[in-house]
Amino acid sequence: MSLPELQYRFINAIFDRDQRDAAAALVKAHGALDAVQRVGIYRNSVHGILLQYLRSLYPVCQQLLGDDFFEAASDRYIDQSPPTRPFLAEYADEFADFLHHYPALSTMPWIAEIARLEWARHQAWNAVNQPASDFAQLALLDAGQQEHLTLHTPNSAHLLQSPYAIHPIWLAHQPEDHPDKLPLERLQIQQASTVLIWRTGRRLQQVVLDKQAWDFLAAVQQRATLPELAERFQEQLAALLMNAVQRGWILSFSTDLVHSESVSCESCI
Amino acid sequence: MNLNTTINHPVSGCGVGLRPQHIDQITDTKPAIPWLEILTDNYLLPGSVQQDYLFEIAEHYPLTFHGVGMSLGSTDPLNSEYFKRVKALVERVNPAWISDHLCWTSVHGLVTHDLIPLPYTEETIRHAASRIRQAQDILGRRLVIENVSSYLQYQQSTMSEWDFLCAVAEEADCHILLDVNNIYVSACNHAFDPLDYLNAIPVERVQEIHLAGYEDRGTHLLDTHGYPVSDAVWELYAQAIQRLGAIPTLIEWDNNVPELGTLLTEARKAAEVQAHVLA
Repeated sequence: MSLPELQYRFINAIFDRDQRDAAAALVKAHGALDAVQRVGIYRNSVHGILLQYLRSLYPVCQQLLGDDFFEAASDRYIDQSPPTRPFLAEYADEFADFLHHYPALSTMPWIAEIARLEWARHQAWNAVNQPASDFAQLALLDAGQQEHLTLHTPNSAHLLQSPYAIHPIWLAHQPEDHPDKLPLERLQIQQASTVLIWRTGRRLQQVVLDKQAWDFLAAVQQRATLPELAERFQEQLAALLMNAVQRGWILSFSTDLVHSESVSCESCI
Repeated sequence: MNLNTTINHPVSGCGVGLRPQHIDQITDTKPAIPWLEILTDNYLLPGSVQQDYLFEIAEHYPLTFHGVGMSLGSTDPLNSEYFKRVKALVERVNPAWISDHLCWTSVHGLVTHDLIPLPYTEETIRHAASRIRQAQDILGRRLVIENVSSYLQYQQSTMSEWDFLCAVAEEADCHILLDVNNIYVSACNHAFDPLDYLNAIPVERVQEIHLAGYEDRGTHLLDTHGYPVSDAVWELYAQAIQRLGAIPTLIEWDNNVPELGTLLTEARKAAEVQAHVLA
């Protein structure tokens, strides 16, 4: 048998329990284990590595579902959506969708929403660092530049909107004390929430946004220009902008002028 | 290609694998550690926090890179994006050397993130050696390849694992990372004498030794990297040092990771074994 054929049979057995016999035919039986069991060690090892990774990514989902349920769901997910890239940190972006469609969770759709939040936290942690603009330079922009000014959230910023109270649920499952932390049984789970996750340096942060801050940051992420923001948020704009810059929700700005050079992060720090 | 490389921080003595649990302690207190080995795959996101930490640590410690993603025995093409990222990190950090495993981790577009053994045949020697040469050309470095622990033997294998490892290293002209724990685990699982393995290894090719703890599952030993190095592996390590000399040695610990002090104690024990054997 050629090496490609051998590897094809073997990897099929890793991600499909029913294919173990085909792979076992490649393997010698000796000692205390037969060939199927020996192939099974590798299947268990691969699934174990990926399960450990999923646990590290989705710790609140694991607490909500319980260890056994989480492991069974993860096992099925791994077979259904095995990794296709050598970068493990990119794996399991579809886990929330998988849980959303998991039949046993049809009455608890908010658990998939927690998975969505945990994936956003993972992405925020792994986002590329970027330089910050010197916002004192804003005052030096001329009218033409201001007309085309756009603001930028950090690469790590993720805006989440959910029909469920995802932030309080997440907070209820953190080991640390927090003034807003309430036990799960005291939460109104069916309460819509808007959450921002972002990273400042080596610190991952998460906050519930009010509607205006949410709308503002959503508009910023949609590349609204300064005049467009001014028209929409009127006299609230200055306070919204100042707060967002102070909190690190807006990190930089640029003036992409048509037919002229862009002014961007000239005084990056 | 010139495979000689300039090494900023020469590596010697007994080091430990860098694990996320210990990064803050290492950056904050900078404990005395002869060298650190990173799991390359954990640092391949350009511009990420992980790379921030790594660059900070690289200023204070000699580093080696140890990966699982090259999939040197696979029949898929080498993953160009993976090698591009590894190369960029190598150029930035300039590790003393780069190692990966003599096995396959991915094929047909699927990735296991685990170390699957190869059949030991002439065909596989040629295939693996050709891939290692290709990887060396891309990285501009001579690679160090590690023997994996195994729980199966393929029907079509025609030689011992040590003959296979030596032939691949010879044909690829690469170095060997000899994992003494893996030799012991595979010897128990497949009923061979670990000294037959050890005595076949060409001394001049061994760049590094790995030590780790296994788990006894009753029917087989499992290479979990979750326990202290066993007494039997310490004995085998002493015999390896006797034969190979003062080879840089690394303590690997990936599951149930204890405090850094426990790893450093294991590393000191390895250094004591070396000193005792070579006295």
